[in-house]
Amino acid sequence: MAIGGVVTDLDVGDILGPVEYTLSPFVVREYCHAVEMHQDCFQSADDLIMPPTLIHLDKLRLYNHACPGGTGPTARIHYEYDAEVFAPVRVGDRLSVSGEVKERYTKKGREYVLMEMQLKRIETGELLVRYLDQVILAYKAKEEKAA
Amino acid sequence: MAKEPMTPITLQPGTELRTRPRAMTRERMRWYVDAQPTIAADDGRIHTQPPTIHDDDDYARAQGLPGIIADGMISTNWIQGLLVDVFGPQFACRSRLKTKYIAPIYENQVVTACARVQTVTQNENGDTVYTLEVWCEDDSEKKLTVGSAMVQLPA
Repeated sequence: MAIGGVVTDLDVGDILGPVEYTLSPFVVREYCHAVEMHQDCFQSADDLIMPPTLIHLDKLRLYNHACPGGTGPTARIHYEYDAEVFAPVRVGDRLSVSGEVKERYTKKGREYVLMEMQLKRIETGELLVRYLDQVILAYKAKEEKAA
Repeated sequence: MAKEPMTPITLQPGTELRTRPRAMTRERMRWYVDAQPTIAADDGRIHTQPPTIHDDDDYARAQGLPGIIADGMISTNWIQGLLVDVFGPQFACRSRLKTKYIAPIYENQVVTACARVQTVTQNENGDTVYTLEVWCEDDSEKKLTVGSAMVQLPA
């Protein structure tokens, strides 16, 4: 178990969270503004809806909670995003997010970590979003790999 | 303000959808960098964070990169924005989006988000299910981000 250290130490079987929070309108609007999604459902509607990609920032929420030492010695590179939405998430919803490190492996000299996350509605336990996130722990250029 | 989706949606397999080309400027990369601590704080104010590979050339070079690169989630969000424009809020209600970052996106590289309808089917509830190939390409049509999407529209 590598919980309590830095992100680059995370290993298979590590459980992150759960972390609970309430989705705020500020968060939805700010995120969508930053990535130029100006549709009414994210900016102007009375009942704003969570853009599915916002689950990615829940990963940082989990990292901050489980790895107080920070990122570690190297910058991560995001490699793969895979999110499935089962039901809409709306502003005001009380949510619980958790993660589990499913794989950690080396391929072509690069170290990969795969984490599965689940976002649930606290009130009912309903699974709202399942997210598979894959990162490379440290960037290595092709020339370096060949060396 | 973005347009609401066309209704009814009558896309056929092979239909291709594209955003306008956008330059991945330093400012666009920075917006995403700043959004992360701002959202984490959730106090209505803008926050910044220490240097990252997405906003600081020196830090990026120290990590083995030639300079800053865009966060992959920006291209994923540009694809998602295209799909929301086409399918509406339902894309945030019952859907799947999978993207893989196969090439870094550098400062000022021109990026277009694209989608091509692969299948249109109806499930047992009568819902219409679209599957799509999705990608981002530069102005030489080199693919930078690739993936797939699904959206389920209620009957």
